[in-house]
Amino acid sequence: MDILKHLKDESNLIIFTDDFISNNTEIKIKNNHLLFEKENEFFVFFDNYTLNNDFVFEIKNKVKIYLLTSQSKKTDYNIRFELKEASELTLFTDFNAKTKTSSKHRLIINLAKKARLEFMNALVFNGKIAFDLEVNLLEEKAEVTIEQLNVGAEGVHHMVNQRVNHLAKSTTSKINNWLIAQENAKLNYHVTGFISKGKELSKCHQSNKGIMLSDNSEISVEPKLLIDEYDVEASHGAAIGQMDELQLYYLMSRGMTDSEAKSLIINGYTLPFISLIANEKIEKILKRQVSRVIRRNS
Amino acid sequence: MKLQIKDLYVSIEGNMILKGLNLIVNGGETHAIMGPNGTGKSTLAQICMGHPSYKIESGDILLDDESIIEKTVDERSRMGIFLAMQNPIEVPGVTNFDFVKAAVQTRMKKAEHLRIGRFILKFEKASQDLKMGQGLAHRFLNQGFSGGEKKRNEILQMKMLNPKIAFLDEIDSGLDVDALKLVGENVTELKSPELGLVLITHYQRLLDYITPDFVHIMINGKIVMTGKDELINKIDQEGYDWVKKELGIEDEEVKPYSLGTCPSKH
Repeated sequence: MDILKHLKDESNLIIFTDDFISNNTEIKIKNNHLLFEKENEFFVFFDNYTLNNDFVFEIKNKVKIYLLTSQSKKTDYNIRFELKEASELTLFTDFNAKTKTSSKHRLIINLAKKARLEFMNALVFNGKIAFDLEVNLLEEKAEVTIEQLNVGAEGVHHMVNQRVNHLAKSTTSKINNWLIAQENAKLNYHVTGFISKGKELSKCHQSNKGIMLSDNSEISVEPKLLIDEYDVEASHGAAIGQMDELQLYYLMSRGMTDSEAKSLIINGYTLPFISLIANEKIEKILKRQVSRVIRRNS
Repeated sequence: MKLQIKDLYVSIEGNMILKGLNLIVNGGETHAIMGPNGTGKSTLAQICMGHPSYKIESGDILLDDESIIEKTVDERSRMGIFLAMQNPIEVPGVTNFDFVKAAVQTRMKKAEHLRIGRFILKFEKASQDLKMGQGLAHRFLNQGFSGGEKKRNEILQMKMLNPKIAFLDEIDSGLDVDALKLVGENVTELKSPELGLVLITHYQRLLDYITPDFVHIMINGKIVMTGKDELINKIDQEGYDWVKKELGIEDEEVKPYSLGTCPSKH
């Protein structure tokens, strides 16, 4: 899918490719360091951009960033987000590849006092990816919500590490993962919440749900809570299984074929994630990516 | 239009449930099937729909003289069989509107396109007729619906899909008196020479609103008696013991079985 075709008319668009960097925003870029000082919505697109230095996104206001990639060769990204005091970031990421490839992406997100992050990560990556996410709640009342939709097409292998470190009092984290694995897809997750000693009144929750669409698909989730403090709130869980056969029967009893019924159920499964996306174009891009994977394999 | 069930034997998990059942339903006819719990009434409806947990041991099911027992669930539906389920399934994330639209589209020929304006008007009319309230279209399929709403939603689908043979499996359970009357009136409105109706019920009250042409009593997996209104009244007053006594039927022990999981394909 040509993502740029959908984004080209956006007024706040920054493009990084191997050939050129295009920036029609007021954001200054120096050595891959981007400073967001004003409240606004931005679109950032990476296409086979080779990093010499890690990317740093510094957030000082209320900002929405849509970060999309569409690589056609092995390209690894190391990206760090620095959320300054009382800043708010709504971040949507969609790491994707035009052709089957392998990559390592690492995101580190640091939150200062009262900073808030809403992170929606769509992982429909075509190929093999090791995706590491580390969120550090560095100061009091920092909050993070992570929603991740991972659709594994046939034969892909996604290895995902998510870790939230509560390093200050009264910090809050919530992770919701929705995972779908097609034939021969492997989705392996390690999800860790860590509350260090003395960081009382912190809240750390995670939920993992997975649907395997074939006997040959694999989803493994290792939800972990490492808690070194008594006065905290924490929960975790994982529910993984095959598609509900009674739901399939019900839909088929109304005339839908097996594959039509499965598509409808999966669309329903992804809806809670997709409905969080506040931008129609981005929603459309993601819906197309997901339905292409589902259609191809159903 | 004719549904013919011929000497049907059906089992689940090694338990024989239907044991030589025969029934013919013609277009324009309404058949009521009554009987004690566990005699196979719902099994009859499910096997006609193609529920994959049940196994046909022998016999046949014909729709307009064509055997349907090798047809998949969706094929049977598109051929005109409809089952209003006793326990409609919840499907989170799928809106009622998208679901019904998809179901209607499956019945269209390749060159046809859904006229969305007309579809919306028909959906809204059906929704109003069944007093489903505003916002039904955008609610997730059966999720958070009351028992009565689920049953009315089944009838809404029936109205939208125009089946040839409709099984209504205990559509009266979970309905209060007003809702029962509403459902009864809506189903009665759908009666036509092109629709054969099979009502599965325990109670006379549904049949006060949908008048059957034939009343069948099922015991131990087959129809043991067929009659008309007089049979309903007698059952309502005296239960089924007199039938068993009259016909010399002894109660059979049926092992419990599960419908919890079922493969989607034969």
